[in-house]
Amino acid sequence: MTEKKTFTYYPGCSSQGSGRHLDESIRAVMPELGIGMVDIEDWNCCGASVGQIGGGPLSNLALTGRNMAQAEKQGNKDVITGCAACYLNTHGGNEKIKADEQKKADINEALGAAGLSYNGELQVHHAMEVLVNEVGMDNIADRAKANPLKGLKVAGWVGCQTVRPFAGTDSGGNYDTYEDPDFLDDITEACGAEAVAYDSKTNCCGGSVAVMKPEKTLHLMEKILNSAKQAGADVISTPCPLCQTNLEMYQDSINKKFGTDYNFPVVFPTQLMAVAFGMEAKKDAGLHRQTIRAEKLEKMAKK
Amino acid sequence: MTAPLPEVASRKYDLTFARWVRDNVEGGDKMNMCMQCGTCSGSCPIGPEMDNGPRKTFMMVRAGMREEVLSSSTLWNCTSCYRCTVRCPRGIKVTAIIQGLAQVAAKEGYAPKGENASFANAFWWSASTFGKTDERLVPTLYYFSAGFMEGIRKSLDNLKIAINMLKAGRMHIGMPHTIKDKKGLKAILAKAAEIEKAKG
Ligand code: SF4
Ligand code: SF4
Ligand code: SF4
Ligand code: SF4
Repeated sequence: MTEKKTFTYYPGCSSQGSGRHLDESIRAVMPELGIGMVDIEDWNCCGASVGQIGGGPLSNLALTGRNMAQAEKQGNKDVITGCAACYLNTHGGNEKIKADEQKKADINEALGAAGLSYNGELQVHHAMEVLVNEVGMDNIADRAKANPLKGLKVAGWVGCQTVRPFAGTDSGGNYDTYEDPDFLDDITEACGAEAVAYDSKTNCCGGSVAVMKPEKTLHLMEKILNSAKQAGADVISTPCPLCQTNLEMYQDSINKKFGTDYNFPVVFPTQLMAVAFGMEAKKDAGLHRQTIRAEKLEKMAKK
Repeated sequence: MTAPLPEVASRKYDLTFARWVRDNVEGGDKMNMCMQCGTCSGSCPIGPEMDNGPRKTFMMVRAGMREEVLSSSTLWNCTSCYRCTVRCPRGIKVTAIIQGLAQVAAKEGYAPKGENASFANAFWWSASTFGKTDERLVPTLYYFSAGFMEGIRKSLDNLKIAINMLKAGRMHIGMPHTIKDKKGLKAILAKAAEIEKAKG
């Protein structure tokens, strides 16, 4: 393995709830690839996409400011997160603080109320970006020799917020393209599984509108499920915890509305990796946390 | 000979609102670059749920239609998918502008009840009180923001989902998760709100 690099980890609120299996599988596979992770001490919610509406822009930015201040104290320059919304807010917020002296001063004045400060020296990364740029597919494939997922057909669903918000910026993750990125399929193949081609790869499920008003977005999710099914996939893989939860939990409603019979498992790429690395189905891959079980993948697990 | 063209009273656009957006909304400084090509609205996954969509919204801002823009359903249906932003040939931060306008609308009291703004308030309450977002409390508060019966109905609709999530260990019973230094966070947010207020 290449030299170990340590990141300060921002788990985000979903890690303690709907996205526990993302958090568990990230914590399991990253160290296997030489990436060390230390949690931000006493981290708080980042405010997600609606924080600025509820709290106002500066207060919302102060949430990220506090996380950054805590992380900076811990010494590592690089922060990693697995949640697309956390990444959007934390990376975006951090860049805003770094780019604008006045904002930085305001944030520091606010942080001062709790005896904290932030110099603006951190860089925030998405877990997928770290896998692509820091770890590399060869290393994933190498480690996946333990238990390659032969015969598993995977529809890689990139969704929106992992790649698009920072498209074209210097720190936007350097994905190959923003319309049709390959990294998720590359991870699938590095795990020894087959990436199927289908046309909803970067479609949006409705995000937080889906959480609030599912009736407005069920057709968006139906289209994703339909095209993955048409392509012959056994399972959908997505890096985003909200995508995973939305697409999994609304299948009943979708079936009711469209007369379909989906019972389609949706997992995270890090869960595929944990199984391919020969790690434990439960403790490391968190496969027992699927409300629609990924049976074929479970059967492939060595432990 | 054809009859002379009739005189049409010219309508003067009031640019005050457009200038305000330019100076106060993130990305607003580039909005005058918009060439009305419609790529954004054409790419929008949720276009049918929007009355105007981003392209028309931008034109309306230019036309000074403050009321119409701030009370538009476009602001509350944006999923933040960023498709418009990556595709805009003029490099306009479309998503940021729509979100910025939503925030102004919420602040000025235009946001309809039971829409995204109620969700945003519920979310902020959880984030600022506990330092963490409780995925059970936020939707519940939000559902009830639309009225008591609506809250009951929505909660029942989601009961099966909630039970499945509980079984999978992805939802917990009991008190919300909290950060240790709630007092510190509260002080930071109070200070931030104070600075924000001082700036108007
Ligand atoms: S974006 Fe979501 S998961 Fe991330 S910290 Fe905020 S609420 Fe939590
Ligand atoms: S696909 Fe849905 S949940 Fe995923 S990033 Fe897009 S809006 Fe968010
Ligand atoms: S895509 Fe850009 S230029 Fe075209 S209408 Fe939308 S904002 Fe204007
Ligand atoms: S970010 Fe909002 S406005 Fe833009 S395409 Fe997506 S949903 Fe439509």
